[in-house]
Amino acid sequence: MTAATPRARPPIRPDWWSKSLAGTLLGFTLAIAISGLFAWAGPGGPGALNKIQFNMWMVAPVWLGVVSFCFLFRSGLRAWLWLGGANLLAYAALHAARTLAQ
Amino acid sequence: MRADIVRLYRTVHSWTGIVTGLILFIAFYAGALTMFKEPLERWVTPPSAVTPLALERADELIAATLALRPNAAKDFTLALEHGDGGVAGEQPLRLIWEAMRYDPAPWSATLQPDGTVGIEQLDPSGVGMLVDIVHRTVGIPGDLDIGTMVTGVASALYVVALVSGVIVLLPSLVKDFLVLRVGRNLKRMWLDAHNIVGIVSLPFHIVIALSAVVFGLHDQIYDALDEAVYGGRMRAVMMESSPFRAVRKDPTPAAMLPPTEFLARAKALSPDFTPIALEYHDANTRSATVRVWGRDPRHLVRREGFVLMSATRGTIIDTEYMPGHQGSWSAMVSAFFALHFGSFGGGVVRWTYFLLGLAGAFLFYSGNLLWIESRRRTERRAGGPVTQSRSTALLAAGTVGVCLGCVGGLSLTIAAGKWLNGLVTDLNAWHYGVYYAVFLASCAWAFARGAARAGSELLWMAAATTAAIPLTSLLALAVPGLGLWASADLIAVDLVALAGAAGFAGLARATGRRVQQGPRDSVWSGIASPVGMKAAE
Repeated sequence: MTAATPRARPPIRPDWWSKSLAGTLLGFTLAIAISGLFAWAGPGGPGALNKIQFNMWMVAPVWLGVVSFCFLFRSGLRAWLWLGGANLLAYAALHAARTLAQ
Repeated sequence: MRADIVRLYRTVHSWTGIVTGLILFIAFYAGALTMFKEPLERWVTPPSAVTPLALERADELIAATLALRPNAAKDFTLALEHGDGGVAGEQPLRLIWEAMRYDPAPWSATLQPDGTVGIEQLDPSGVGMLVDIVHRTVGIPGDLDIGTMVTGVASALYVVALVSGVIVLLPSLVKDFLVLRVGRNLKRMWLDAHNIVGIVSLPFHIVIALSAVVFGLHDQIYDALDEAVYGGRMRAVMMESSPFRAVRKDPTPAAMLPPTEFLARAKALSPDFTPIALEYHDANTRSATVRVWGRDPRHLVRREGFVLMSATRGTIIDTEYMPGHQGSWSAMVSAFFALHFGSFGGGVVRWTYFLLGLAGAFLFYSGNLLWIESRRRTERRAGGPVTQSRSTALLAAGTVGVCLGCVGGLSLTIAAGKWLNGLVTDLNAWHYGVYYAVFLASCAWAFARGAARAGSELLWMAAATTAAIPLTSLLALAVPGLGLWASADLIAVDLVALAGAAGFAGLARATGRRVQQGPRDSVWSGIASPVGMKAAE
């Protein structure tokens, strides 16, 4: 936002259903992808002993972090678009990491 | 912080809070009690005749038992201690095995004085188990998985409630922190108390909430990971991390080392490790293994850790679950478990967790009260008599019935254990019966009588049932003919119950006064307002 636009930012639309659903569903799939990225490309690589349990534990904070903060999106539509985009990126990266590791 | 964000998150906080408040109250109250479930278990169990453990005869017991029950050789446990360190009196050396996986009633063998082996089926699930089940499932009957999933989902909402609560509080945190405004504005006081408890115990709540999500929903999370990350190969990946990954099955008969040898090797590995059990697998074969289970309060471990050894050669096979000898990933995951269970640091942490658990229960109770209070219709604003909305009346009744029903049910089922032990054949079923009877009756009572009257009546009930615990012990001492008993080393159970009963009685008195003398435009008033009377006609 530049100084030339003095008008205030539009208020955040609540869009409860849309945002909650986006956060819960896309937040979960995003958390799974990030956990998977950590599993394949993170420290220790895919074969580290007992890392699989740690990977699973990671899902909860990432997922619920997204749910908690998804209400900050200015609208439900924006929540779906941003989180959907993040999912696309994360799964593309996961796919690349798996291909490289195998 | 922008005002509209705070407003938004106030809505998030009140909805996540109101949906989960009652579930979390039960989980926290019962969870606080689980910190002391072994003493509770011993409190309801009569002290048995003292036969000291005879470890040097363990070989004889194992051989004689396996001769009688060869099927047990696949997996059995030699218990070295019973309950919480065996303080209630040493018990005979015992072999325990399960007829099936997760057998609720495993089998047990002990050496009799005449040298023969006595085999019996155990029924270990007593009051400690009940408290634990209520903690994990909030008392939802039926399949354990359903109740666990409900607490898992509630815990997920609870994480969101925590984050949103902190966001709502942030702008006024510096100004209001640790300020408790006691005064005419009761809502302000409840809000201050709610905020103080919430902020002070925030780290505890974050840890408990996130780990409870994992405990409740790990099956679903693993399924999703298997699908999306491991391409359906997750079982295989897990097996590669199993402590048994290097053990090749070899059914050739082979002699095993004596139990004392395994204990000596565990001690050599870790001098501060206190063994509590030896778990054998494929006994008397070349691939026989033994897990030396034990505790070490200096480390963040799951309730217990173990070292895996070859039972024939005594070589150490795996230490991934051994306190202080774990790999980094395993150690981190163990730390998450330990932080939920409070199974580190000994007594100080146990008591701290107990108190934090009770404080958590208060947090959810006060949250519900605030929800009701912020929807209150006041005479001042309405300019005349008012009736409270149906939703606040119902939530008030539900809060009182569920919370106090859980408190009273747990107290009474503990006290009843001492009376019923030895009198009834299925003590476990009786424990459940007593708990559910009190819980359901309290809920019904609260809705039938209305929140105001039921509030003080059920608090008196909670005080009476909790007082029944020390009174039972007192009766045991005063009237020996009753067949009850009391042990001096469990006096803490009686004293804590006494303090709890006194607390509930104090609350009951205060609540009773409010019903009579409190402002009439409140859901907690026993004096029906004129409008309410008219509506009822």
